[in-house]
Amino acid sequence: MTVIYSAVAPETLWEGLGKEPQYVDVNINGMNMQVEMLNMQQAKIVRLYSPNPNDYLNPAYMPGTVIEFHP
Amino acid sequence: MADKSNEAPVEPAAEEQKKQASIESLQQFGQTNVASNESNIFCLTIIGQIEGHIVLPPQNKTTKYEHLIPQLVAAEQNQKIEGILIILNTVGGDVEAGLAIAEMIASVSKPTVTLVLGGGHSIGVPIAVSSHLSMIAETATMTIHPIRLNGLVIGVPQTFEYLDKMQERVIRFVTRHSRVSEEKFKELMFKTGELTRDIGTTVIGADAVKYGLIDQIGGVGEAIRELNQRIEQRRQQLQSGGVVQ
Repeated sequence: MTVIYSAVAPETLWEGLGKEPQYVDVNINGMNMQVEMLNMQQAKIVRLYSPNPNDYLNPAYMPGTVIEFHP
Repeated sequence: MADKSNEAPVEPAAEEQKKQASIESLQQFGQTNVASNESNIFCLTIIGQIEGHIVLPPQNKTTKYEHLIPQLVAAEQNQKIEGILIILNTVGGDVEAGLAIAEMIASVSKPTVTLVLGGGHSIGVPIAVSSHLSMIAETATMTIHPIRLNGLVIGVPQTFEYLDKMQERVIRFVTRHSRVSEEKFKELMFKTGELTRDIGTTVIGADAVKYGLIDQIGGVGEAIRELNQRIEQRRQQLQSGGVVQ
């Protein structure tokens, strides 16, 4: 059970529930991460799965960063 | 005539590369990277909704706990980082996630300073008080109100009990990490006639300090000065071989 403790009205908070983007898990340079595909060549980092804490301080893999795939 | 490009010194090329990187970052994040990697202060910003076990609809601006928790682990473990500054402008969110972040900040051994800018509402309150020193901007507000259960109707006494326990966790954390008394915090939480849609209170800057919720009024300048002072103190303690905290 999720308990939300927020100053925002629940109807505003939950508006559009179920329209979340589809996420994919990929491995880039040996690091596992969850990405949101923007198109065939680009993806946005959603979260990292690394067990190395320093990876989370690396600006190159910051959530929100757009990565490009080159075939 | 020699080709001009061959004569170009190395310096401008490096400069150009830097500029390119900054433009790239501007395109990606809508901001330029100001802080360099060499800073001994780790800055954590907590904005919008605090997102926990459920992914919120996309119109919400969220801070996800799975992003913050490993960053806090890294900041605690990294030798180069000596202090953590937490900037809050949040409307609240998931109780479990919020308390998890608050407990993480409270248990960090390096000096921590929290600064509430704009707002630190609901579950933002325990996060705001979790540091060694909490600060609030003069115009910033904090809304303290009872926990609601969204999307579910309280049908059985057990649901009410569960909600009461969740609330108790928040109250206990806040009273343990700030100077506010349980009576005062509960009084603020259950006050009627101040909020239009709910019961509770909105405390602004100086009031939060007066109730003992927040330590002092201040902005980013004071926050960094205080943090640097604590870092210096910790350094001296470490040098003299004393046990820190």
